[in-house]
Amino acid sequence: MSDVTQNQHHTLHDELHDHAAHHHDHHGHGNFWTTYVFSTDHKVIAKQFLITGIIMAIIGIGMSTLFRLQLAFPGQSIPLLETLLGKWAPDGQLDPNFYLALVTMHGTFMVFFVLTAGLSGTFSNFLIPLQVGARDMASGFINMLSYWFFFTSSVIMVISLFVESGPAAAGWTIYPPLSALPQAIPGSGTGMTLWLISMTLFIASSLMGGINYITTVMNLRTKGMSFDRLPLTVWAFFLTAIIGVLSFPVLFSAALLLMFDRLLGTSFYLSDIFIGGEMLHYQGGSPILYQHLFWFLGHPEVYIVLLPALGISSEVISVNSRKPIFGYKAMIASMIGIAFLSFIVWAHHMFVTGMNPFLGTVFMLFTLVIAVPSAIKAFNYITTLWKGNIRFTPAMMFAIGLVSFFITGGITGILLGNAAIDIPLHDTYFVTAHFHLVMGSASAFGLFAGVYHWFPKMFGRMMNPRLGYIHFWFTFLSLYLVFFPMHFMGLGGVARHYYQYTAFDFMGVYGDLSKFITYSAIFGFVGQLFFLANFFWNIFFGKEAPQNPWKANTLEWTTPLRPGHGNWPGEIPTVYRWPYDYSKPGVKDDFLPQHIPAEEVEYEEGFQPEMPEIEKAPRPQENPAAEETEDKEG
Amino acid sequence: MDAAALLNISQVLLIAILVFVAINLYLVFRLKDIDPFRKWDPDKINGTLFLLFFVVGLPVSIVATMNWSDTFTLLIHPASEHGAEIDRMHINTMIVAILVSVVTNLILFYFSWRYRYDKDNKALYYPHNNRLEIIWTAVPAVVLTLLVFDGVGVWHDIWKEIPEDQEVVNIEVNGKQFGWTARYPGEDLTFGETNIGFISEADGNALGFNKEDEKGFDDLVVQELHLPVNKLVHIDIKSRDVLHSMTLAHFRVKMDAVPGMPTYFNFTPTITTDSMRTLKQNPDFNYEMSCQQICGGGHWNMRLIVVVESEEDYNKWLKEQKTFAQFYKELNGVDLIAQANGETETTEPSSEDGEGAEGENETEATGEVAMVK
Ligand code: HEM
Ligand SMILES: [Cu+2]
Ligand SMILES: [Cu+2]
Repeated sequence: MSDVTQNQHHTLHDELHDHAAHHHDHHGHGNFWTTYVFSTDHKVIAKQFLITGIIMAIIGIGMSTLFRLQLAFPGQSIPLLETLLGKWAPDGQLDPNFYLALVTMHGTFMVFFVLTAGLSGTFSNFLIPLQVGARDMASGFINMLSYWFFFTSSVIMVISLFVESGPAAAGWTIYPPLSALPQAIPGSGTGMTLWLISMTLFIASSLMGGINYITTVMNLRTKGMSFDRLPLTVWAFFLTAIIGVLSFPVLFSAALLLMFDRLLGTSFYLSDIFIGGEMLHYQGGSPILYQHLFWFLGHPEVYIVLLPALGISSEVISVNSRKPIFGYKAMIASMIGIAFLSFIVWAHHMFVTGMNPFLGTVFMLFTLVIAVPSAIKAFNYITTLWKGNIRFTPAMMFAIGLVSFFITGGITGILLGNAAIDIPLHDTYFVTAHFHLVMGSASAFGLFAGVYHWFPKMFGRMMNPRLGYIHFWFTFLSLYLVFFPMHFMGLGGVARHYYQYTAFDFMGVYGDLSKFITYSAIFGFVGQLFFLANFFWNIFFGKEAPQNPWKANTLEWTTPLRPGHGNWPGEIPTVYRWPYDYSKPGVKDDFLPQHIPAEEVEYEEGFQPEMPEIEKAPRPQENPAAEETEDKEG
Repeated sequence: MDAAALLNISQVLLIAILVFVAINLYLVFRLKDIDPFRKWDPDKINGTLFLLFFVVGLPVSIVATMNWSDTFTLLIHPASEHGAEIDRMHINTMIVAILVSVVTNLILFYFSWRYRYDKDNKALYYPHNNRLEIIWTAVPAVVLTLLVFDGVGVWHDIWKEIPEDQEVVNIEVNGKQFGWTARYPGEDLTFGETNIGFISEADGNALGFNKEDEKGFDDLVVQELHLPVNKLVHIDIKSRDVLHSMTLAHFRVKMDAVPGMPTYFNFTPTITTDSMRTLKQNPDFNYEMSCQQICGGGHWNMRLIVVVESEEDYNKWLKEQKTFAQFYKELNGVDLIAQANGETETTEPSSEDGEGAEGENETEATGEVAMVK
């Protein structure tokens, strides 16, 4: 295995791209452990991330079923809960502290383990080397470590579900003092310690992954693969990795200080606390400091979750509309804009936490600016569909669904981003609706789109499209039915993180709606069975996939059906054009892969191609995409 | 118990059956000969379903909105001055948001249906158009700028300083696990000193009054928040343990209570509880204070009734409340006022065990001698 990395080092020192000659095909060498478990092959690691992510998703979604039952039937006995949870649901009634634990762990699992690691870990790993034309990541070994850190972190997080005093229960944002004091809630005992340890490993994993992704994209692109010929997927993964590398360390520092407060008795976040009948010694700390540190990661984090999904949908929408993505450059520019702006809007989560109101004004301005690049992306997706020839593969369905969620969920950001309007909405179900649509649903759809689209490349077999459609319609409908009504509850002032709404007259009226939401959610969970069956069954028994099932342009489809370690048995293909030449006028097929040189393009009969200079010899520093499109416009 | 166990088993079974059905469906679809849908064209069906989703979904959401709108009375009657401003802006922004999302979703689903696959078609090669890009950068930018300006204005009004000469009602709200307590400054209009070091639940000093500070003797500690209508109210917000969030939903007021860092909120209630009852045609209506920052197991239950009334009623109510000194004397038999005046007068305490929680903290924090018994 290490030959591959050596190889890659070689390329950095020698002539940049000429390492094909050194390459050996590694497929078939190595034993079970080195091939499937401690593998350094990015494709295997990607699958490990995917499967771990799916398992974490099953647990995370399972937890939400349990607390949705509580919300729909407050005060009623549900025997199933007692069977599953034992002492946490005596007589079938969920314990209020454990309700909060479930909500907290649901958020943690879904945001970090499913949508961060599951999504980036799977697709950055799988697609970056394949799409930029590299034999593997810059460091296969660090890549392997990244997975095993993630795996360990997942195991610890799952173990924390079973500790005596219960798992962490202070919300996924674990604000101190609640998260710092076991006296305040039982989950802040051992459960929280495990949470923090697990997150530390998680951060390490995501830094190792991120550094690898960045290095690979910068250094290991194949001949001709200039930055303006990179697929938007790779652009998205690249920017996501940069955001992650810059922001995760700040979460680490937040967690570390919290650890100090908990274990060493320091007072970074704590001051003037009287709890459990006694005054604690903490003096001079500030809970607001924690919030600043947390959201400095937390807001970029929402884009860490979303950008890869947007990248995947760009690719899927373009391939299946048989049209170039509209506004390739604008897409890149808006992603760069989002990446940059995402670092200066964090305090919009803190308008009414006691932060200086003047700061609120500043952050309100930046926050509404970030809506502009988001809008550009949405419009560009829609224009890509215009006059396309849309094939509704399951992946395409999910990509279109993603755009719908992105719009519906993102638009409510302009209400929340307005500090004054945020006063009544903050910490209500309106926020829950907003981020579940724009972050939860949209990113989950990106994940699904990616799985349906690249399954043939991952496993060499096809998934069943019909089951894919059924899965799609179940999921699409249920997500809207679950999260859309939550806007109403939020407008009515119903608070998040409530064990039941019955204590307040103005919240109690939403009992029926709450039941409706729970039923819709169960409907949605059932739909996921179609996915699980389809996915696992077809890994083993699916129809053999064709080489390029979607007739796509990107490089991954030039590898053999089941590529070995090193990806291409022979030379790595050279790239001659951008990845979005679909339905190019005059060209015979409706797609034109990146690796086909100009002289080999098959034209329609009677078509006289003008051969731009650029296509004869690839020159990475130039910009073929722009030139090609400019003469269209004129 | 047996019946319950049975029910459990049936629930687990139900799930197993569903898995089974899922796999079966799959197998059925794979058997080409008995596949009832083999002639269906997935592009046509899915494209149509997308459009149908919108065409059905929109009216359904409208009907749902109308149906649920009587429960958003919260939105309809803002009960404070700034609340009316927030709501005006809220509704304007909401209209923009709804328009944009309906129109873009419509186009999205319409295009999905309109441009579904046709083997004789070739898609239009249309990689970019700078004019379009500029339009849809500029239009959102302008709309958002307008909204932001409005927002900044309203936000600044909410936080503007109260002029020296303006009359203002000062109240303090204290959060703890799990409940709210309000404090009024009493006749001297000044709050007495409090410190968490002085807290002693057992002798009724839950807010931690400094028992030597005379300014605190006439303070009122109450479990109900009363506000005079049309008077500017300044609420100081404190917490003694973890974060809470003082939320007065009907007044569009929300601010975290932060241990170690008092916060505040200024607002003017405009509708009395009685008028609101008439407006809502609900004689049982009450304004409520809730907590909206996760704070532990009782978070969902931190309720405090809020009453808005005429100034006379408000003053009358104030008079009926016990001062801290009165309350303390009744509970512990100690006359703080006399004590402060140097008189050592003791009466029989009406409750026992005042000492238990009277910890070293108090002495530590103040150097003060434990109270006379
Ligand atoms: C486009 C992708 C977006 C994602 C993934 C996203 C995600 C999130 C998440 C996860 C939260 C909840 C945090 C919490 O309270 O626990 C949130 C809240 C918020 N989002 Fe977004 N958001 C997006 C877009 C926007 C946009 C475009 C805006 C503004 C124009 C915005 C403004 C806000 C604000 C202000 C909050 C805080 C609301 C509150 O806590 O009261 N978001 N968002
Ligand atoms: Cu944010
Ligand atoms: Cu609370």
